[in-house]
Amino acid sequence: MLQIHNINTFYGKAQALYDLSLSVEASEIVALVGSNGAGKTTLLKTLSGLLRPASGRVVFLEKRIDGRPSYAVVEAGISHIPEGRRLFPDMSVRENLEMGAYLQRAWKQKGESLEEIYRLLPVLKAREGQLAGTLSGGEQQMVALGRGLMSKPRLCMIDEPSSGLAPVMVDEIFHIIEGLRDQGIAIFLVEQNVRHTLEIADRAYVIENGRIILAGKSEQLLSEELIRKAYLGL
Amino acid sequence: MGSYMMVTILDVVISGLLLGGIYAVTAVGLSLQYGVARVLNIAHGEFIMLGAFITYSLYTRFGINPLICFAICGPLVFAVGFILYRTLFTRLRMSSPTPGAFEGNSMLACFGLLFIIQNVAILIWGADIKGYTYLAFPVDLWGARFAANRLVTLGFALAICLVFYLFLANTRLGKAIRAAAQDPDTAGLMGVRINQVLALCFGFGALMAGLGGALISISYKIQPTMGLEYTMIALIVIVLGGLGSIPGSFVGGLVLGLVGSIVTHIEPGLSLVAYYVIFMLLLLIKPTGILGK
Repeated sequence: MLQIHNINTFYGKAQALYDLSLSVEASEIVALVGSNGAGKTTLLKTLSGLLRPASGRVVFLEKRIDGRPSYAVVEAGISHIPEGRRLFPDMSVRENLEMGAYLQRAWKQKGESLEEIYRLLPVLKAREGQLAGTLSGGEQQMVALGRGLMSKPRLCMIDEPSSGLAPVMVDEIFHIIEGLRDQGIAIFLVEQNVRHTLEIADRAYVIENGRIILAGKSEQLLSEELIRKAYLGL
Repeated sequence: MGSYMMVTILDVVISGLLLGGIYAVTAVGLSLQYGVARVLNIAHGEFIMLGAFITYSLYTRFGINPLICFAICGPLVFAVGFILYRTLFTRLRMSSPTPGAFEGNSMLACFGLLFIIQNVAILIWGADIKGYTYLAFPVDLWGARFAANRLVTLGFALAICLVFYLFLANTRLGKAIRAAAQDPDTAGLMGVRINQVLALCFGFGALMAGLGGALISISYKIQPTMGLEYTMIALIVIVLGGLGSIPGSFVGGLVLGLVGSIVTHIEPGLSLVAYYVIFMLLLLIKPTGILGK
């Protein structure tokens, strides 16, 4: 459903992504793993219109979306759950979730969508009126996930959902992400937590210095010598 | 003696709230322009002046009730602000490498706007002090007497702030504006058309300035160079209330108005001085403002 063809992205004069190509199909979790500064977040920003690619094509559901502004990408059905949660700190949990349903068509159904999110993430119901800036890290990640689902996306791009969270919380978040795939939402998961990510992903790409250096099924990659050495410390 | 004292206090408080209400309306406008649209609009007072003179002309030339003039001059000034942002400031924002550079560039552009608007106003209306009388009959309030126009002005100022607050708190666009104030990129990821919302904010800021000007013209004398003083006061108020905080600007406006009224009661020439003293003390003691964090 998402095809990326030979994307090149620059920060000023410095090139951050080189001829990068990958694809995500419906109902799969595709992971992009790699170390800090490899270009993972840059790729997501390029896809969601926060950065413009210098060249290359991005096609989502048969439509070109490269170089389009952020709102057009959300309208096309892609939700970007950014690194560091990026909640609106001075808004309540409920208002943050409502902002996720900002698109005209989603706004009309925001009542039902809220109910669904509260069923999926009951802890948010209890925190509904609290300012988002006062929540714990795990709760904030839940709000970010919930907010990203309120637009009823076909594809969710999730950037580093595990960062800064306790291991129990990471398990819970990853479990929720698996549940989303099973509901038919495609997931593009960007992570540094390689082992955990490969355990839930169907396929994965490994990025280094702005280039894809490895790709394949998760089981395959888990047994790959390079991955075992560089990312799993085995 | 006791009742005379009470009457004096009532007089000072109502006058203070009147001034404060006007300060609040105009400061909320500047807060939107600076806190959300990131334009430190040095020409804010010129929009206030435009609102005042449009109301003046509509009333003295065409006999249109100043309170109805709100409905005409508000949208007019809003359109000026909106178009300015779409044409001038959006382009500046795109061409500025960093948000900091944009703040500097847009402030310079506002300096230019200040002179343009002021001189056009002098061309149209002349440089003299103008005024008109409307609802000038006295009203008794618990023993103190006030001109009816001042009470109406106060009522409208508070109502405008309340309506605007409810708009920000409860509507889809209002929430988008608050989200854009906190994190414009992320607001974009939610589907907010950020360029449009920023332009609307600048327009709403101009609208509040225009309405503030219309209110001022009902109770005070006006002239084309009146803007700067109001710009300075609005700046002091938004720092007093905490940069970017709309409720803060509202509270800050009322507080400053009360202070102004008390100082004026003691020594009329000193109110501006008092404002600057408060401003300096605030910057030294609590630079984040009353409601700031």
